Amino acid sequence: MMVTVNGQSEDVAGQTVLDFLKARKAPVENIVVERNGDIVHKAEFDKVTLESGDKIELISFVGGG
Amino acid sequence: MEAQVQGQDYKDVYYGMKERNVKDSTDKLTAAHVTIAGAGGLGSNIAIALTRIGVGHLTLIDFDSVELSNLNRQQFKLSQVGMPKVTALKQNLQEFNPFIEIKTFQTKVTHDNVKELFADADIICEAFDNPAAKAMLLDAASEFFPDKPLVMGTGMAGIHSSNTITTKHPRANLYIAGDGTSMGAEGLMAPRVMIAAGHEANMITRIILGRDDI
Repeated sequence: MMVTVNGQSEDVAGQTVLDFLKARKAPVENIVVERNGDIVHKAEFDKVTLESGDKIELISFVGGG
Repeated sequence: MEAQVQGQDYKDVYYGMKERNVKDSTDKLTAAHVTIAGAGGLGSNIAIALTRIGVGHLTLIDFDSVELSNLNRQQFKLSQVGMPKVTALKQNLQEFNPFIEIKTFQTKVTHDNVKELFADADIICEAFDNPAAKAMLLDAASEFFPDKPLVMGTGMAGIHSSNTITTKHPRANLYIAGDGTSMGAEGLMAPRVMIAAGHEANMITRIILGRDDI
């Protein structure tokens, strides 16, 4: 049930994207999630479930400009 | 009578200003339309760079007005405090180069207006301060304009080494400049913000001129 998150294998399959982000205390509003090459739109975070073998890239932003 | 600019012949000024541009860049730059979201530390510096080289069409978007605390890094003048940033920036840009078309929108970019605001952009430039706004724009642009290059910035605070600021190309049509980690709460100052702005402006220039690798 492993998912690759930013290159690291993690046991998080079965969780929704939202639960996965909350569990790692990630600032949900500042993050864009790419799943198997496609961006998961924020409105879908609580609907998309991570599956074994998924490749997730988290693109996070910090303030300042 | 020949049209004049600052007391000189229009054509002399127009061509003189482009004399030191890279060979064969002028036509592509003149035809390009870049829409810059945010007219603060990143956006004002990026806009000036693109204006100087003659990017022909710029759209500036920002909801905010110029404040004293902006002046340590943003390209506004004391005399412009209180003015809408897009109005003040347009005024300054026109002094650098009167030959480009500049559109302004004093509004907040939201998921709902992205489709309308960026429809005529060839390249979308993200230059917000707020990280949630940055994420929102990537989210919305990937939905509405997956084929338009999006150039973003994240992490240019503090006084860390210049050399930690890079441009990354994490997916097709997405470029992100910055150190990725330093947060605005550390303080933001012109030198380092201008490095990140320079990264974004140079990437935009490269894309316009057909070099879309980093």
